[in-house]
Amino acid sequence: MKRAAALAIAVIAYSLAAWMVAPGFYDGFGPPQPYNFTCPPPQAGANIKPSSGHADIPVRVGVSEADSAFTDDGQLVMGFLPGAFVVGGKTTITVEIKPLDTCPQPAGLRLVTNAYHVTASAALNPSKPANLVLRYSNLEPDPAEIYQASDPGGPWTALPSQPGQPFTIVTKQGTATFGYFAAGYKSSSPPPGSVTVGGGQILPILVAVLIVVVVLAGLPLAIMRRRQSGDRED
Amino acid sequence: MTAAVGARSALRAGLIALLVLLVEWARALMAQQPGLTVAALALGGAALTAFALGWPPERLGLGTSKFGLRLLGGLALGAVLLLPAAVRPGVAPLLPAGLAWAAIAVSIGEELAFRGALYAALDDLGGAPLAIIGSTSLWTAAHVLSHPTQFLGAVAAAGLLLALWRWACKDLVAPVIGHAIADLAL
Repeated sequence: MKRAAALAIAVIAYSLAAWMVAPGFYDGFGPPQPYNFTCPPPQAGANIKPSSGHADIPVRVGVSEADSAFTDDGQLVMGFLPGAFVVGGKTTITVEIKPLDTCPQPAGLRLVTNAYHVTASAALNPSKPANLVLRYSNLEPDPAEIYQASDPGGPWTALPSQPGQPFTIVTKQGTATFGYFAAGYKSSSPPPGSVTVGGGQILPILVAVLIVVVVLAGLPLAIMRRRQSGDRED
Repeated sequence: MTAAVGARSALRAGLIALLVLLVEWARALMAQQPGLTVAALALGGAALTAFALGWPPERLGLGTSKFGLRLLGGLALGAVLLLPAAVRPGVAPLLPAGLAWAAIAVSIGEELAFRGALYAALDDLGGAPLAIIGSTSLWTAAHVLSHPTQFLGAVAAAGLLLALWRWACKDLVAPVIGHAIADLAL
């Protein structure tokens, strides 16, 4: 009886402790390095502000060289092919990447990464789009697409995207213009990667199934044990 | 004679505690290196499992008597561990499929190391109270490098629950199953 009481108290203590930090039980599996959030979710813990990035891309004989621009924390990387820029007589192209101080949440979309403003001293050559890679956090649902906007207020347009290295998303055909970029998914649909059963998340259903199995299997086992102990007493 | 046995038990418990802690911290640091997450989990799980070598299964709580109840206990523990995340509004992050087998390896390894070998060694040294408190404290310390600070309360509470189960039911099968279910879900 004392042992059962101790276990019951431990269950209550755990439930309270786990309720205070989302998502609750979490064993530390995740991306190789923590994501630096502009607007950290409660479970993010100690958060470092996201970094900006700068690149000077040389132009040789009127053609910009292949190069990449990235933030210092590697959360956004933009790759450029040779001749990706309309150089217009420039000898160097500068690219600036700045994380926004705010976190836009446009209607119908759920952006799960920071929004970044990418600018350059020359326009992109439409025939040589730039490739874009965004890293995201394991504390948020996986994004489905990278979105682009010319203004943080929108509209945000989806760039066809695909998963890259773990916890990264990459554009399939790149982008031919600069602007604001973030990754997310349509809020009207469930986040990609989440398993939906009966219209909801699998986790509540999994827990409900576990409870039902324990109760259904536990009752006969308890009855059998009681009968066995009754037989012994007889 | 008794003092010598006590010193040997203390030395064994201390050594296991130190090595388990080092393995967990090394695993956490290795997992932070790009591309090494799965390898860190798998190697960490294997290294932690090695702590169970040399112990009779019964001393680790791995007996086969009342196996149905042990399995059922594991499902119940899994439900308890996941319940706060399941009833919380909003989306809980699910474990990426590629990490599933590595997560199972770590769950088994951690249970064998903390609630198995370390618990048994501390039990020999100072009885159940030392085994429960000691294994829970070490378990919490082992997660310092892999978890944000505010998660450590929940980690400690989960460790205490699993250690109390180990004590109350003399069973490690249920903690292994419950831990694996919880790790697979989150």
